[in-house]
Amino acid sequence: MPAGLMAKAPPARIPAVPDFARMQRERMQRMQAIMQKQGLDALVLLGNTNVAYATGAIWPLGDSGRANFEQPVALVLGDDECPHLFTPMREDDRLREKMPADHLHGPVYLDFDEGVQLFATQLAGLVPSGAVIGMDEWTNALRRERSLLFASGAPADGGRVISMAKASKTPDELAAMREGLRITEQAIAEVQAQIAPGVRQTDLTATFLRTIFDAGADANILDPIWQVMPARREDGPWTTTGDLACPLLSTERALVEGDVLWVDLGISHAGFHSDFGRTWIVGREPTARQRAQYDQWQSIMGAVLEVTRAGATAADLTAAAMAAAGGTKPWMPHLYLGHGLGIDSAEMPYVGSDIGEAFDASLVLVDGMVLVLEPIVWDDGAAGYRSEEVLRITEDGWEPMTDYAYDPF
Amino acid sequence: MTVVEILPDDTALRLARRARVLAAMEEADVDFLVVGREGNARYVSGAPRLWTAGSRAFGPGCVFVRESGAVHLLSTWDEGIPEEIPHENLYGITFNAMNFVTVLSKIEGASTARRVATDSMSGSSANLLPKAFPAAEFIDGEPMLRQIRRVKSPEEVEAIRASVRIAEEALAAATKALVPGVTERQLTAIFMEAMAAAGVTTPSGQDVAWITSRQDPWRRTNRDTPVQPGDLVAFEAGVVRAGYAGEVGRTHAVREGGHIDSELAQRTSALWERLLDACRVGAPLTGLLTAYDDAGVPPPPMPVARGLGLGFDLPLVTHSLPLTAGEQHIEAGMVFALTGYVWKEGVGALYVQEPMVTTESGPVSLSTTPLHEQGV
Repeated sequence: MPAGLMAKAPPARIPAVPDFARMQRERMQRMQAIMQKQGLDALVLLGNTNVAYATGAIWPLGDSGRANFEQPVALVLGDDECPHLFTPMREDDRLREKMPADHLHGPVYLDFDEGVQLFATQLAGLVPSGAVIGMDEWTNALRRERSLLFASGAPADGGRVISMAKASKTPDELAAMREGLRITEQAIAEVQAQIAPGVRQTDLTATFLRTIFDAGADANILDPIWQVMPARREDGPWTTTGDLACPLLSTERALVEGDVLWVDLGISHAGFHSDFGRTWIVGREPTARQRAQYDQWQSIMGAVLEVTRAGATAADLTAAAMAAAGGTKPWMPHLYLGHGLGIDSAEMPYVGSDIGEAFDASLVLVDGMVLVLEPIVWDDGAAGYRSEEVLRITEDGWEPMTDYAYDPF
Repeated sequence: MTVVEILPDDTALRLARRARVLAAMEEADVDFLVVGREGNARYVSGAPRLWTAGSRAFGPGCVFVRESGAVHLLSTWDEGIPEEIPHENLYGITFNAMNFVTVLSKIEGASTARRVATDSMSGSSANLLPKAFPAAEFIDGEPMLRQIRRVKSPEEVEAIRASVRIAEEALAAATKALVPGVTERQLTAIFMEAMAAAGVTTPSGQDVAWITSRQDPWRRTNRDTPVQPGDLVAFEAGVVRAGYAGEVGRTHAVREGGHIDSELAQRTSALWERLLDACRVGAPLTGLLTAYDDAGVPPPPMPVARGLGLGFDLPLVTHSLPLTAGEQHIEAGMVFALTGYVWKEGVGALYVQEPMVTTESGPVSLSTTPLHEQGV
């Protein structure tokens, strides 16, 4: 059984334990520096993960529909070292430890005109008049607010501030992410031990959910994928690309001996998302042909890792992957060879996406970025192999963030 | 082996929903409806898509055309897609916003559409959508959608009831595990395991259990504090099954000598009677707010009522939004989670949340779990 990625290169520069207070201070400095450059006096954030980034507030993310009545909102001011948070969880000891009482406010309801008016009144007491305000998301009710937020037309794009601030992770952020990835791997080990003919996909999810919470996760972030891959591409569902359909939803379908499972999932921990991907075979050892797929996947991954370092472009990575795959793109056309990971499950940098080759050529990797690489090997007639590895970019290369074995290969 | 087992929503259910949207679009003179919220997209399309936790930024997840009745949907594959949505109406996942413009502008009627309604908006979409709909005025489609979705068809009520049943099953498993030493996070773990074992893998919330404070009306500690004998522990059990949220909330005393304080139970019962009385068809929603005042109970830290359905539905009744509550009345066929929350110093809080459907003959509960234990 081949060991995980850390057997190749143990991480040396990621602290064992995150210092969350330092992490938030450094985030604030980054946000305020970017706001100053962009001429923004204040930032109003609605996106769940942006709010978590700006304030350090942790709450278990719910169904997306809940955001309409349960949406914490952050206000970042250019000249205040602590952000404001409007939240139903105000009386929460974890928040009260982090934030002064006068920066914690009750819930706001920005999907309702009355809620927006009340919020605007509160903002007027916190934001100097004439301030330039950026926002990450709007509701239609917010668009009708003309006294402050939309007084001079559309507000600036505040989401860009967070995108820029979060691109490169601080050592404390890396340590926190590593914890989330470790919890994910711990849960996955429990699930993998359960894989057998007759077990339902939903049973695997049951074990996964139980274990992540027991191990300290804050939330699950994605209905876990245990996709049974067809042997041939044409046996799968029709797609807009003519390529593979993935990820498909899990059901109560029972596993059958010989099923090739593509696994993809992630959790939320300490305000960060994790990501995990592997290929498993149900109830059998891999065949020689399946082992050859895996070997090719390793050689593609190895080739990409060879060129991965700060200063390399996304195009350098895609070129290495394609060369190792014999000239074709070893990833699904509706996704990518790789993507960033952090407060969101998929964030910049996107490597090999449909943003295009010019974008890939212009995207330069930076020290502290966290990248998920997920090449695939498709061997039509015998399905294929897909796994994911998470790594942190360094000046001289990369360090692994994941360490899960490739069993049963 | 082809495995097609992801099924779209029941044909009659999804066509009835879509017909309601179409009628509303005609009445509001909306040519195109562009929705990003998953609940709205599912209401229109009837297609299940991958569940993810947390808010999502606005993007064109589903497009409904009034003239042709065509549904265009963001989906890279056809698994689970209703038969009346042809392949050419599917557009794939993209990371390039300009691709959305290309897709949308090719939809028949896009170039001449006069009124395009969206359920939300973002800065980038506000810049890009006019490129796809060059002749259009963009209007708020959310009130129209909320208006339609607020009243449930009998089939929708049954879908919510089925979700509630799973929530109750998982709640029973978590309640059984409530013994001294267990933590909020462990109770959540047990709930989630039982939910998935029952065949539903998507929760509506992931903050399933909390120890109510004996010192403060509303105070949370961290999720890893072990529960103590005598603690009152609140459970919020919610699942999303076939898109529909079913939720039920209960409070239990920690076993081994624990019990529900009799005065707390009586005050909760008295509040509950007033709340039910306010759920009469035709009554203003503000009645749910005054029920608390009349019972001498301070406003709860969460909404008194909020709609259950696909994603988020009306009504939303909270003491924070009195004017909004005053604009609406109870109608027959509304489904909402009704909340009772009573706190007693030195004891803790009794929290109950009940999924209710309103009928001409009064509110009817969609759960079968007793509201709370008898006080001792």
